[in-house]
Amino acid sequence: MSNCTVLFQPDGRKVRVAAGTDLRRAAALAGIELKSACGGEGTCGSCVVKVLRGRYAILGGKSRQKQGLVLACRTAVLGDLEVEVPALSRLEEHRVLLEELAANATLAEREFDSLERHGFHPVVHKTLAVLDPPTLTENASDLTRLLTRFRPEDGRPTPAIGLRAMRQLPLAVREGGWRVTATVADVGGKEEILRLEPGSSRRPAYGLAIDIGTTSCVVNLVDMRSGLVIDRRGAFNRQARYGDDVITRIIHATEQPEGLQQLNRAVLDTLNDLVDRLLLANDLRADDLTVAKVAGNTTMAHLFLSVPPDHIRREPYIPAAVSFPVLRAGELGLTMNKAAPVFTFPAVASYVGGDIVAGVLVTGMAQGEEVTLFIDIGTNGEIVLGNRDWLVACACSAGPCFEGGGITCGMRATPGAVERIEVEPGGREVRVRTVGGLPPAGICGSGLVDAMAALYEAQVIDRVGNFRDLDSPRLRGGPDGPEFVLAEGPEREIVLTGADLKNLIRAKGAVYAGIRSLLAAVQLPEDAIARVFVAGGFGNYLNLRDAVRVGMLPDLDPSRYHFVGNSSVKGARLALLSRRAWAEADRLARQMTYLELSASRSYMEEFVSALFLPHTDLSLFPSVTEQEVSACP
Amino acid sequence: MPVERVKERYASKVGEVVLGATPAEGGTRSHQVKVGGDSTLPFLHAEGVVANRPVIAMEVQDVIPEWNPVFTRPVADVMGDPGAWAQKCVEAFGADLIYLRLDGANPEKGGRKPDQCAATLRQVLGAVKVPVIVVGSGVDEADDEVMPVVAEAGAGENLLLGTATQDHYKTLTAACMVHKHSIVALSPIDINICKQLNILISEMNLPLERIVIDPTVGALGYGIEYTYSIMERIRLGALSGDRMMSMPVLCTIGYEVNRAKETAAGAAEFPTWGEVGDRAVLWEAMTASCFMQAGGHIFVLRHPTSVKLLRQQIDALMAGK
Repeated sequence: MSNCTVLFQPDGRKVRVAAGTDLRRAAALAGIELKSACGGEGTCGSCVVKVLRGRYAILGGKSRQKQGLVLACRTAVLGDLEVEVPALSRLEEHRVLLEELAANATLAEREFDSLERHGFHPVVHKTLAVLDPPTLTENASDLTRLLTRFRPEDGRPTPAIGLRAMRQLPLAVREGGWRVTATVADVGGKEEILRLEPGSSRRPAYGLAIDIGTTSCVVNLVDMRSGLVIDRRGAFNRQARYGDDVITRIIHATEQPEGLQQLNRAVLDTLNDLVDRLLLANDLRADDLTVAKVAGNTTMAHLFLSVPPDHIRREPYIPAAVSFPVLRAGELGLTMNKAAPVFTFPAVASYVGGDIVAGVLVTGMAQGEEVTLFIDIGTNGEIVLGNRDWLVACACSAGPCFEGGGITCGMRATPGAVERIEVEPGGREVRVRTVGGLPPAGICGSGLVDAMAALYEAQVIDRVGNFRDLDSPRLRGGPDGPEFVLAEGPEREIVLTGADLKNLIRAKGAVYAGIRSLLAAVQLPEDAIARVFVAGGFGNYLNLRDAVRVGMLPDLDPSRYHFVGNSSVKGARLALLSRRAWAEADRLARQMTYLELSASRSYMEEFVSALFLPHTDLSLFPSVTEQEVSACP
Repeated sequence: MPVERVKERYASKVGEVVLGATPAEGGTRSHQVKVGGDSTLPFLHAEGVVANRPVIAMEVQDVIPEWNPVFTRPVADVMGDPGAWAQKCVEAFGADLIYLRLDGANPEKGGRKPDQCAATLRQVLGAVKVPVIVVGSGVDEADDEVMPVVAEAGAGENLLLGTATQDHYKTLTAACMVHKHSIVALSPIDINICKQLNILISEMNLPLERIVIDPTVGALGYGIEYTYSIMERIRLGALSGDRMMSMPVLCTIGYEVNRAKETAAGAAEFPTWGEVGDRAVLWEAMTASCFMQAGGHIFVLRHPTSVKLLRQQIDALMAGK
């Protein structure tokens, strides 16, 4: 019963909802998406809206806001309402994950002609079958009639048919006048007819390339005939309400009753929401989506498939599986054609997952002779080194701070996040630039790397990240020790504390120590690295010079660096379009040698030596130290 | 056939740090003490020059310390009078240096004020003519108050002041800069942090030859091998030309040994261990001896007998020169 009208301003959009509906849902129905870091639990305070007029109730009792400001997720509609949605509460498109904005990027993102290497041979295609109508004397079944059309002239075996397609068969052939369009998929080496449409369907088959990140999920809608990405959507992984990193989520899955189901539900809700938006925007139905390739880290893969992940976090860190069966969207609960095969990328080990395999696949680093370093910096840092003959991989626990986690004023790279910082020597003057040019709301990963470099350069901090004794009003005592004010935001001051800086130095040290450990394992010098692919989270927006200045990335010629953006979803797309590429992914996952850093004696030593700006061994960063020498009078 | 002796040649050597100042240098010490300067691994006289003898500092505190009885007994008559205590260490026990620890500045141990601490230092400087090492209480806030005043009170004496750590080095470094003292840089048995701290201090423009490394030692039986290998690597770093690891090394042996159960537990508790008196002394001497082999230069001890034992060993090892 839709008995209340809610009018959203300044959009002027109206929806009718039942009394008791929460405002977040009402807004979603009106096509206005609100921020919701906590997933509607009423804890993050990011979905603040202002009720201008009308009756409402605060769920769970008290309102902590004044002047009609309420949390949309905790506010129930009781009558006709007029609500104003401030810009800061709106969910903006995910900057870090959607490549359209790459034009502003510091370094252009590298596109790969990966299809050329692997060959265009989509996992799913549509084909028109023209059948002979049956007669009293020629009375073979509809299916026999259909399969005759797939009789192998090209030597391929006759496809099987799924039950759903079989149910569609008698109507479809007759409705189409014995012309029927079959959607045929390669399901783990066997062809299967998934779907039958009467007549000749003009629409291509569609597939989904899905990246499940610990922090964010991205879905690409792929035209399986042209191979083009038609549309894409990204959102925060709703599992975040159960913890920011994989370890807390594994604990939740194991120790909470229903924990695993909750996490599985959360990621499916996230994905289904994105799929719904794609379907709506492109005028498609769920039935049109007939295949998906899913890439995610090992824990995400376990949770996606509801496999208990507990031993991933317990020594000796054993996942339940590193390769996964092909499942049907129907049994998983994905909003797609129920018969659509869903492929999950194979992983290497507990902490090097299918997302990395997808990245290595799409960069083609395992095809060339050049020694290549692949770095994916997200909630964790994964690193792969090698070429076509060998590949070694490791995971370093960089922690979530480059995604804004564990930092006092940290946030993800959404509008309002400080992404560039300049500090005058002595730290009196600071200039910041934010994503989208909005008033500063927090500081994101690329901004944090920038801040580390800029504060060191301006002599505000020393090489271990301690504040120097400074005569600047920006440096002051805070509740957690000294802190430096970077900017004045409308809602809060954007500060970096001493603890934040220590966190950042540990994170950048973990990444660099991981790189050094891989190099040491294969006894190669840094200079042997011919190419570096930087993928993931802040990939595109990272200021390369700063990343080298703080000692996070090796001091190599900038021309060797390439930003590859979200290589996980790109790898998934490639695997949709090339069966050879999918086979290659399987080979890569098995070929990669996993280096367990927690078992490596030298890693700890590399780590401590990297807890310095840029490094205890200054000779590893000649370009940085040269600049410093020349900067001295 | 004569065997040819293979000799290692090193690119560099340990830096030399000079402690104390005579009236000619603006101080009141009778002589200076030089440490470091080695161009080889410890005591390999055939391969290089062991420029200076390792030296022994004896520990004196401004307040009566809670040491094990074995260590307080020889100085029981002078504890509470830092001047007399220092004098006894030098004149009766033959200490090369005095290591004055201002433990009383710790708010929980009396919270002595900066001027009281400075007075204690003057008392010690007046009582002995050997160079002096002064370290704070280890409570950062208190030491930040005390050490600049102490540094000023000892201006001209070319003291060795401690203790700087990675998270707390600026005040002390600045005090050493202003009043021309040397500094003890303490790292937690970690060669990287050791080097990082040296870089941090030298970037405040304190010259490298005014820094002494305290790598943190462990007593015999308490992870001694960790510090041994760290000290060995510091020495190898210095010899291979890493200037940020080329400083002489100070070992707070007495402090660590005093914490070992073996220097406190009586024979009644562990009948097979023998009398605690001999045991504690040997524990201190053995620990010091071990770190002398590893590359230590300044040994801070508490018991006069272990001082004597260590000196005998230094004599023997230096006799090969």
